[in-house]
Amino acid sequence: MTAIAGVGYTPFTKDSGVSTLTLACRAVLAALEDAGLTADDVDGLATHRVGDSAPPTLVGPALGLTDLAWHLDQFGGGSVSHAVVGQAALAVAAGLAETVVCYRAINARSEFRMGGTGRGVPASPEVQYQAPYGYVAPPQQYAMYARAHMLKYGTKAEHFGHLAVTQRANAAKNPRALMRTPITLDDYLASRWIAEPFRLLDCCLETDGACAVVVTTAERARSLRRPPVLISAAAWGGGTSHLSAPDADPTVTAAAALAPRLYAQAGLGPEDVDVAEIYDCFTYSVIVQLEDYGFCAKGEGGPYVASGATALDGPLPVNTHGGFLSEGYVHGVNHIAEAVSQLRGDAGDRQVPGAEVALSTAQPGYILPATSALILRRS
Amino acid sequence: MAYRPEPDRDSREWWERIARHEFAVQRCDICGTTRFPARAFCPACRSEAWHWQDVEPEGRVESWIVNHQAFVPGRRQPYVVVMVRLAAVPGCLVYGNWHGERPPEPGERVRASFDRIDETLTLVNWTPAGSLDPHPHQRTSFR
Ligand SMILES: [Zn+2]
Repeated sequence: MTAIAGVGYTPFTKDSGVSTLTLACRAVLAALEDAGLTADDVDGLATHRVGDSAPPTLVGPALGLTDLAWHLDQFGGGSVSHAVVGQAALAVAAGLAETVVCYRAINARSEFRMGGTGRGVPASPEVQYQAPYGYVAPPQQYAMYARAHMLKYGTKAEHFGHLAVTQRANAAKNPRALMRTPITLDDYLASRWIAEPFRLLDCCLETDGACAVVVTTAERARSLRRPPVLISAAAWGGGTSHLSAPDADPTVTAAAALAPRLYAQAGLGPEDVDVAEIYDCFTYSVIVQLEDYGFCAKGEGGPYVASGATALDGPLPVNTHGGFLSEGYVHGVNHIAEAVSQLRGDAGDRQVPGAEVALSTAQPGYILPATSALILRRS
Repeated sequence: MAYRPEPDRDSREWWERIARHEFAVQRCDICGTTRFPARAFCPACRSEAWHWQDVEPEGRVESWIVNHQAFVPGRRQPYVVVMVRLAAVPGCLVYGNWHGERPPEPGERVRASFDRIDETLTLVNWTPAGSLDPHPHQRTSFR
């Protein structure tokens, strides 16, 4: 059994003023400090990135780690954020490494904005069928699928708005969050169009920052400073590309196929989940995953959110930190770290009382045809 | 235009056909499954044997977005991108800009318009099937 023994953050800002290498080192050291470890204890490093950040082969030497036993430089966006922790857990379980720090450092506002601005159009054989039409960026792609869901199931703008409002209310209780001023449904509806049906408040923040988690054996974690959080299940996998040729329904994500494997590994079901940190690059991303992870019936994600089910005092608190929409965008790792906080019981004003099981998920597979997720448990 | 498609070894012939106003998909010689975009292998039976098959460049609007930002330089906003499910290959969604004086309607039948950009490049955009304009690129598309 493996565990997460510590979490670390840099401040979240719109302009860090430093390199992603510096951000990565700061987050790695902060996570080790949280665990009661030092860099001398580290024998593995792992990250995911899209050519926009510092790999383990830079971060290791920068911290004086010249003999890493294991490292992973995973190409990919938010789809693979949770797979990286799963891979680290495998390395630890196999005895290849004992202490692996998984990090993501990103200057997503000041240097490399997602979706092209600040760098070229991504190289993919499918881009040629889209980019000539001015269709290049994640908010466009997610808006396209969101409308398909609206047309098929009657999902409404107000459902998306309710989610944005709920997550902002959570962020108001999170000192780390970039956006803490509460918003109303009217504020949501009045926010400017980005790509209809998406408004500004459907879209995640663009953030500079880094976040890291320490993966080690459960046995070792028990001897460290903080209560260990067990990695009860880690699953990742690929599916159909939604870019050009989906065989299936564009309102269903790769999470629908992954969820049964994930739950089976943990020996749990959606009814056992106390808190969920769900990848929210856009509002719709949460709504479709609530369906595909089995918290409500297909097509019912919008009404489920509007019922208040995902609020802090609801049956399934979701994105208790405010998520990418309001805390900041660190490409999935801040969702894992928040799940750890909730299970350790140190989430402050936003703590879900008695949380024992958390689900945390990655980008559900609309852009890169893969997804990943973790189920974490209080020890 | 801000982005010019870069055909690869799988797709070059598809773009050449589009420049001749031929709308083709691949059909597997073994099991008959049609596919798009161009790939060497049939995902249904893993055969590498295939041929081009011309299909009617028609489909239905499955979704669309109205872009209010300059996601690529040089685009006048707002502009519409439609996602179209091909009638001949129901497993395939294709994209393009919208040639209509009004927004698309859900499930609306549409037909491709081949818009010549220059000597070597033609793009496929989508026009309401009920009001096909023989010279679509000579007028402004829906905003
Ligand atoms: Zn075949």
